[in-house]
Amino acid sequence: MGFLAGSTSLTRFRLVEDTVEPTILAEAAERLRRYAFRDIDNTAEERSFGWVAFGNMLDTSFENEPVDLGDYLVFALRLDTRRVPAAVFKKHVTVAMGQALAAAKAEGKKFLSKDEKLEIRERVALALRARFLPIPAVFQVVWNVRRHHVYLASVHPKVIDLFHEMFSQTFDLHLEPMDPYFAARALLDASKLSLLDDHAPTIFTPGVA
Amino acid sequence: MDLERASRIATGLGQEFLTWLWFVSERENGLFATPDGEAFRFFVEQRVRVTGGEGEGRETAVCSGPMASLAEARTGLAAGKKVDSVRLRLEKDEAEWSVSVDAARLTLTSLKTPKVDMRLEEGEDPDARILEKLFLLEQAMDFVDALWARFVMLRFSPAWEAEVQDLGRWIDRRGRFSD
Repeated sequence: MGFLAGSTSLTRFRLVEDTVEPTILAEAAERLRRYAFRDIDNTAEERSFGWVAFGNMLDTSFENEPVDLGDYLVFALRLDTRRVPAAVFKKHVTVAMGQALAAAKAEGKKFLSKDEKLEIRERVALALRARFLPIPAVFQVVWNVRRHHVYLASVHPKVIDLFHEMFSQTFDLHLEPMDPYFAARALLDASKLSLLDDHAPTIFTPGVA
Repeated sequence: MDLERASRIATGLGQEFLTWLWFVSERENGLFATPDGEAFRFFVEQRVRVTGGEGEGRETAVCSGPMASLAEARTGLAAGKKVDSVRLRLEKDEAEWSVSVDAARLTLTSLKTPKVDMRLEEGEDPDARILEKLFLLEQAMDFVDALWARFVMLRFSPAWEAEVQDLGRWIDRRGRFSD
């Protein structure tokens, strides 16, 4: 679900840098293109990720839809993943193991080595991956340039980590999550930061728990 | 500060915030204002998750329902649990938002803004609708941030001790009368 949906789930970040070079913002589209999404439909690759346009997951040129929108830069992270169902994988591994064992016996061997089994599993995984289409997922990103805040339309830790890394790489800037620790740090005077770092949970109900 | 410790502090602080928020929403009838003086109302409703204990001794209770009195959650607080996730209703004039806030990371989930008609009239600039939606989303963030800022300032001031006493009495009163 993106930002324009009836219901949105999002994670917020703050830029660590106090100022952003205007050139970084001016060349945002160019930087996004450098790390744009690369299609893997016709390969056997397990996953691919990169930037796409805010409203069109097929647009990796950022020419049809501008990235600038008033105080905002808007774009999206696309992540395609190939998933072979476990039952399908298991069946094909069983078939391949059976064939390999028969061939081994014909050569006078009694069993398959650990390495041979591993090689079979890898070969089956690769062959099956080529037969399954990757499933696309898109997570919209809104960067409020005036506030120095960035919003990601996802609350999944793996997506958050991937986004975090991609953003730093693309813009040479750093994000900190607006979680309770960092959101408190941003508000407190330097004199009170040690109180935060020494935080001990408050007991609201003495005598219980 | 290592990340593990920061994450532990974050969870503890987030739980204190949401527990305090529930208390304040009742004490002050949901009336609040942003630092810019923008008045709004906020209510804890429909869904509260409380949690307590650690590791294998960790216990969680979830209360939900459109007209729920959240009795189980109140009892949980009385037993020493803290609020772990809460659904808030935010109101300003005629406009209404609802959002779930999570203690550990302050993520905003299932955030619903006042309705924006995304269909375009002929000749209308599509960006205007997106900007309107983003404005409404940021308004909800501003409201939550205003609540958060008030909590943080109080939490790390000498006044926190008196607030904790009040909060404890509220838990005691509500926990006892909830069943």
